[in-house]
Amino acid sequence: MSLAYVILSIIWFALIAYAAFGGADYGAGLWDLVAKGDTAKKQRELIDSALGPVWETNHVWLVFLVVGLFSAFPVPFSIICIVLFIPLVIALIGVVLRGSGFVFRTHGLRGRNALIWTQVFSASSVLTPFFLGLSAAAVASGRIRVNPGTPAQTDLGSIWLTPFTVMIGCMAVALCATLASVYLTVEASNSKDRDLAELYRRRSLITGAVTAVLGAIGLGISPIYAPLLWQGMLSRAIPLVIATMLIGLGTAATLYWRYYRIARLLIVGEVAFLLGSWGVSQIPYLIPPDITVDQGAGSPSTLFLLLIGVIIGMVIIIPSIYLLLYLVKLRSGMGFFQRGE
Amino acid sequence: MSGLLAARSQMGTSLVFHIIFSVLGVGIPLLLCLAEGMALVRKDPVWMTLARRWAKAAVIIFAIGAVSGTIVEFELGLLWPTYIKFIGAVIGPLFAFEGFAFFLEAIFFGIYMFTWDILPPFWHWVTSFPIWIGGLASTWFIVTTNSWMNTPTGFVFKNGQLTGIDSLQAIANPSTPYETVHMALACYVACGFGVAAIYAIAMLRGKRDDYHRKGLMLALAMATIATPLQIVSGDFNARYLATAQPSKLAAMEGVFKTSSHVPLHIGGIPDEKTGTFILAIPIPDGLSLLATYSPDGVIRGLDSYPPQDRPDPVPVHLAFDGMVGSGFFTLFVALVFWFLYFKRKRIIPEHKLLLMGVALSGLLGFLAVELGWIVTEEGRQPWAIYGQLRTSEAVTTAPFLGASFLLFVLIYLILAITMTVLLLRQARTPLPEMTWEKVSSGTQPHNTAINQTMKVGS
Ligand code: HDD
Ligand code: HEM
Ligand code: HEM
Repeated sequence: MSLAYVILSIIWFALIAYAAFGGADYGAGLWDLVAKGDTAKKQRELIDSALGPVWETNHVWLVFLVVGLFSAFPVPFSIICIVLFIPLVIALIGVVLRGSGFVFRTHGLRGRNALIWTQVFSASSVLTPFFLGLSAAAVASGRIRVNPGTPAQTDLGSIWLTPFTVMIGCMAVALCATLASVYLTVEASNSKDRDLAELYRRRSLITGAVTAVLGAIGLGISPIYAPLLWQGMLSRAIPLVIATMLIGLGTAATLYWRYYRIARLLIVGEVAFLLGSWGVSQIPYLIPPDITVDQGAGSPSTLFLLLIGVIIGMVIIIPSIYLLLYLVKLRSGMGFFQRGE
Repeated sequence: MSGLLAARSQMGTSLVFHIIFSVLGVGIPLLLCLAEGMALVRKDPVWMTLARRWAKAAVIIFAIGAVSGTIVEFELGLLWPTYIKFIGAVIGPLFAFEGFAFFLEAIFFGIYMFTWDILPPFWHWVTSFPIWIGGLASTWFIVTTNSWMNTPTGFVFKNGQLTGIDSLQAIANPSTPYETVHMALACYVACGFGVAAIYAIAMLRGKRDDYHRKGLMLALAMATIATPLQIVSGDFNARYLATAQPSKLAAMEGVFKTSSHVPLHIGGIPDEKTGTFILAIPIPDGLSLLATYSPDGVIRGLDSYPPQDRPDPVPVHLAFDGMVGSGFFTLFVALVFWFLYFKRKRIIPEHKLLLMGVALSGLLGFLAVELGWIVTEEGRQPWAIYGQLRTSEAVTTAPFLGASFLLFVLIYLILAITMTVLLLRQARTPLPEMTWEKVSSGTQPHNTAINQTMKVGS
């Protein structure tokens, strides 16, 4: 395995972490949007207390992802920045409004302004994963052509607005919603709120099913819209795809029988395998069909420095993240094999 | 508006906005750590209350810092794809290391904020250290990348091809020690005066209790230690520019012709057409003396560069003098303050004029940071990477850049207004009853009230 692939695996790990942690924060925003009725206030409080301590840490994964890509794969990164300028700017605005909307509404705003920022927070929580998913699908679809002679051009929609990209964007939103509802089920049952736990358990099962259907449709149309991805999947990623499906079923089963903590672990595994199978299917291309991972990588000296730095960084960061999660989430609440009420 | 102008305006606006939060993100954590440390040593609930209050404001400030930083990070690629291709290949890993520094800061800030009711006091204080260390480290990493833009090393660029890349040599570029030290100090200067100004204003409005005095004193102490060091380090920077980036020094001082016996012009507007200054105070031989220690010292002027390679001296010179002026003014205020303090046997001076001076210094500290960056960035023009990549070549070909600029300006306006309203409202909430049990960290039940107002615990 070349150095480029080692670095790409690390970036993929960051992508999985961002999807599993940051994705849930977006999903929580979506549930905030639909919180209605007499439990609405309780739901919002649950969401606030779940997100408050961790969202900023989760957000850094995105920053890390971007800088990891441009230091290890500078040329492909700059091409993507030009071609997908429009969806990426929209996603960026969503990221900004989501974060600021959340702190504004949890830290002191009241009345009408709080309501407005709550809506901004929720709307941007849906918008952002949609456009991030769409951009990823646009790269995977293999329609970004790179010719050495002609400089890249910003695409006005022919590449990033296809049935396939829209489907993957929707699937990203559904996946975030599923993640959030599973986590919120655990949080609610930790704070002994049976009604909310039931509500989110039901929602997890529904959105999980929706995600599966959208994923199946995306897979179904990929031979037309993303042929290289489809071939890669058939030839290499089949075991991973099957594992993804099995873990998904496992998540549903543990939710059904109310083993919430196991379900939370499984849904993280689900995300890891889902993104993993995408990565393995796309190998050896970074931007199919014209740029491979090895062609797109920067110089070995840069990659090596990056690798050393990342190893040192991870040794410091991973235990710290565990400490944070332990103190604010894992320390209290139900045991791993315990069933919710 | 041309695409290049729009992109430059958007980048500049974003950085001018972000740097305010960067400075606070480096300075406030140190203040938190100091205040909580004082509280533990003295068992003093007033110090503890200060730490609690600052932490609560920091939640909002850090969040806006994080989102504005994310904008800048994306803009490096979205607005300047050719630049990111270049800098990413050579010195990109530094941005990734900066990411780890942010991780450290964000993780421990989360722990610090949400474990007042869980961790015992000593350990709670310990969690404040990684926050300011992370902030300081991130400054070092990011400013090193900027230093590299000023004096790029560690690669060969020929016929549009990058070869011979050596990232370690790029990190060790000659500007790094000068710029990183100067910027780190700037964070403590600006944040110290900024926080002191808030208490000075409160005292001007009659709130002269122990709480406000202590807040003023700690913040001003930090600023006072940093400011003289800052001026010394700035002097090193300027002298160093004479060899590293003569075009920047020439723009800073409005030197149009290469010569010896160059005067120093204080204030005034350099006029490129006549090659003279309008309304400046000249000090004969001043610049030659400052830069080379000799009146015969030769200073390279703008005329030694072809017209398309010259930065515009007007903004650079004005910004430079504004920074230096702010530096000396704030130092003067701080010195008067401590002189009176020790003369009056350790009683905080409460002269109206002096407090107003502290309030003004709060503004000038941040102004100096902004102006210093204008010197660095405008003084580097027309290059994005000095001598290698022009700003006009670095810019994206994407459409709608004007609309994007306007949209982001709108976002910054909304964020700034909402945040100011929130912080003012926080400042107006009444202080809690300051007894040790009620405000200190730990698992005792007496502090639930204050924990709840901080949204701590379940
Ligand atoms: C509190 C803020 C503050 C204060 C009081 C000063 N500076 Fe400064 N200066 C900065 C904040 C700053 C800065 C914003 O932090 C800059 C921008 C880039 C950098 O590294 O630091 C800067 C840049 C900067 C540069 C350009 C460096 C380069 O582009 O390589 C020079 C020559 C000086 N400064 C010199 C001075 C002098 C002679 C000062 C004497 C009073 C001074 N500064 C006070
Ligand atoms: C001299 C200039 C800069 C300094 C001293 C600085 C420092 C900081 C600090 C201390 C923070 C943490 C802020 C907080 O938590 O409130 C921060 C946030 C951030 N900065 Fe800057 N920064 C500078 C310029 C930049 C630039 C040019 C970029 C883009 C490349 C950038 C990217 C970011 C990002 C992405 C964050 C958010 C990190 C997070 O998610 O917590 N910064 N910066
Ligand atoms: C946070 C403090 C900073 C401020 C206030 C600031 C300010 C500015 C301004 C005003 C411009 C527009 C200049 C022009 O085009 O005329 C600019 C451009 C730019 N800055 Fe900075 N800057 C800061 C730090 C940084 C850092 C640390 C980096 C690098 C990592 C950076 C990278 C850039 C780039 C790439 C451009 C566009 C290219 C160019 O105009 O040269 N800036 N900045």
